[in-house]
Amino acid sequence: MSKASFMHGNEAAAEGAIAAGCRFYAGYPITPSSEIAEILSGRLPEMGGVFIQMEDEIASMAAIIGASLGGLKSATATSGPGFSLMQENLGFAVMSEIPCVIINVQRVGPSTGLPTKAAQGDVMQARWGTHGDHPIIALTPSSVQEAFMLAVRAFNLSEQFRTPVILLMDAVVAQLKEKVEIPDPGELTIIHRITPPVPPREYKPFAFKRGEVAPLAVFGHGYRYHVTGLMHNEYGYPTEDPEVVSQWWEHMTTKLNDHLDEILQWEEAQLDDAEIALVAYGGTARAAAHAVTLARAQGLKLGLLRPITLWPFPEAVVRRMAERVQRIVVPEMNLGQIRYEVERLSAGKAAVEGVNRADGLQITPEQILEKVMG
Amino acid sequence: MSYDRAFATTWQLLLDAICTLMGLGADRDPPVVLSSLPDLPYPVKGRAPLSFIQGPPGRNIALAIGLHAALPKAPLILIMNADSVTLGTNHLIHAARRNIGMTLLLLRSEVTATADGDGDSLDRMRWGLPAYQQIIETAPTPLDWVSALDAAFVGRASLRDPDHLAALIHEAVEASGFSVIGVTAEADLQLGVLSRTEWPEYFTAYREWARPFQQVGKTVLGKGKSGLHKSSRNVPRCEVRIAGFGGQGVKLAGTVLSEAAGLHEGLWATQRGDYGSATRGGPSMVDVVIGSDPITYAGADHPDVLVVLSRGAAQRYAGAMKPHARLVADPGEVGALPPGAIPVPVTALAREHTGKPIAAGMVSLGCVAALSNAVSLESLRQSIAEHVPRGAVAKNLAAMEAGYAATRRALEGGAYA
Repeated sequence: MSKASFMHGNEAAAEGAIAAGCRFYAGYPITPSSEIAEILSGRLPEMGGVFIQMEDEIASMAAIIGASLGGLKSATATSGPGFSLMQENLGFAVMSEIPCVIINVQRVGPSTGLPTKAAQGDVMQARWGTHGDHPIIALTPSSVQEAFMLAVRAFNLSEQFRTPVILLMDAVVAQLKEKVEIPDPGELTIIHRITPPVPPREYKPFAFKRGEVAPLAVFGHGYRYHVTGLMHNEYGYPTEDPEVVSQWWEHMTTKLNDHLDEILQWEEAQLDDAEIALVAYGGTARAAAHAVTLARAQGLKLGLLRPITLWPFPEAVVRRMAERVQRIVVPEMNLGQIRYEVERLSAGKAAVEGVNRADGLQITPEQILEKVMG
Repeated sequence: MSYDRAFATTWQLLLDAICTLMGLGADRDPPVVLSSLPDLPYPVKGRAPLSFIQGPPGRNIALAIGLHAALPKAPLILIMNADSVTLGTNHLIHAARRNIGMTLLLLRSEVTATADGDGDSLDRMRWGLPAYQQIIETAPTPLDWVSALDAAFVGRASLRDPDHLAALIHEAVEASGFSVIGVTAEADLQLGVLSRTEWPEYFTAYREWARPFQQVGKTVLGKGKSGLHKSSRNVPRCEVRIAGFGGQGVKLAGTVLSEAAGLHEGLWATQRGDYGSATRGGPSMVDVVIGSDPITYAGADHPDVLVVLSRGAAQRYAGAMKPHARLVADPGEVGALPPGAIPVPVTALAREHTGKPIAAGMVSLGCVAALSNAVSLESLRQSIAEHVPRGAVAKNLAAMEAGYAATRRALEGGAYA
């Protein structure tokens, strides 16, 4: 029997990490994510895990990669300034396909910005923050319950697809307290990376087959292999052979794209007969959902599409929706980052407008309605 | 040896020295090598592949910290030159001062391709500073820093004596904690062990410290108060805002109210606040939204019940209330009452029943209970008992009940219906 509990989003994310089996955390505390570090510094030793406060976020990201290679499910948490510092090693995790979870509780940037205020300005950084084309998964919760569930899911996806996963939170949810129901451990699906079914001599740490990932052996523990940030072959040895590099790209682009049905999550509310649609995510989706209730009470056919998986973006859903509605309004606490995606996917079929603010204040249902009413 | 040492590359010499550690013993894993130096011969011919990580320059130290937390029995050997050390100095200092178990082989700038200066290899494998830089910059001296940081083991070996290098690496790996070996090709530097310090390795000490907590963990998993999952009552969305200044117990009131509704009534509830600065006196407010359906927007921008405990709060929020909403104002703090306000001497009641103005939040909760069916007095009582120190429960309950009674009296006596 699950338990009803009252907690804020940061606490729920920390508990979700524990429930998912996270046993290593390295981080450098930063508002508005600090509670995650605070809570895990107490919870991990209870669970036989390890918490370490590092010298900076560069080191934090490197340390969780090391621990994950050593077989521990690993996470770090930060906010924009720290997320910027993590990009170098995040790219290393992408390249060497090492599972790990990065929780970014966004604040207003650039630079140190508005430390305690809510924002959603790191949406594109989550997608493209590290250099070079690369696959990435980012999940964004709209409630405290979802912060728990998506923390679990972030670890599951990261283990299943051998990729870093970003849990992209905002302070609206991170600092909000509400009732959550924590499932009993047995009620959750927990995914662990596949370990090699073959003896060390036959083990290849990377598989360049379309849409597949190789099993991941605990590093140096019977299985000796090579891990590098350089382009590499299936044995992990660096290569500049264009044919091998092409195989690598094929593998990297299909390892997520061939499994979108397992990765993408979104929620639709009152879209069936909607003439105008909202696309909102994270904390802003709560104001959007309330705006839909208020609009419907006035007889206005407003609906809501709420991406839960933000990257990869649920493109097909938006494409289909753009065929049906006249207008799409995208409220977000930035100057219009997901709006670009929606515009691109709408391809002129529906008019796309944004409701944007990056001044630290949350978007209200009234502001959304005002734009909807035109 | 399958090659002549005199013509060996630095890689060959180092890897040979490391590979002599492969048979360390049953209780230890074979060594893991981390380096971002180029031109590693892949795969290392004639022997089983090493466990090798080629992380970003300098970051290998931080990566090794995580790896060591996960694999305490695998010796971690990092091979770094001046450039990697420069990028990783912050990591090096922190790993050294925390005594995290790993061994750094630090190649001095003059260490190049061969032990004995083969020309071709020298050009191919120059890991040190460029020649012009060697003229104008001194070689890095991190051995001095790590000695000063009490690294567990500091030593120096020469590539001219690979057997001594291997023996010294073995000694460093066996030392508990952070160890550094300066690798040189110069003959006139002091070789061997330079300094040793005995103190616990970081993660060994951490595990020792954490052991007592693990018993706690088993009982705490899935912690949280058990509460009612679902109420049979139908409560439409109700927005409550309590606003005043720091020191009036506004935040605690929000926690008590939201948990009373969420956990004791089995409704949905949210708590969102702008508690201002931690010091007393600044503006502070809390929004609690309660209802039978999950709460979407957690702001009480248009309150159904508003309690104002300061002049500023009255000015800011009274105008945004829903039609027919209820407004409670503390005349002693607000001054001129907004139109339609129910006057309740919240702060005075707090002082009367607890002796402290910080109980104003508790009095406010009584006002809310008198004006809304979203929460019952009984649930508030239970929630207060969970949130204030045991010795203060009776006084805080009295303050809340006083707020309830005063509001009821005002309603019965005044024209607020």
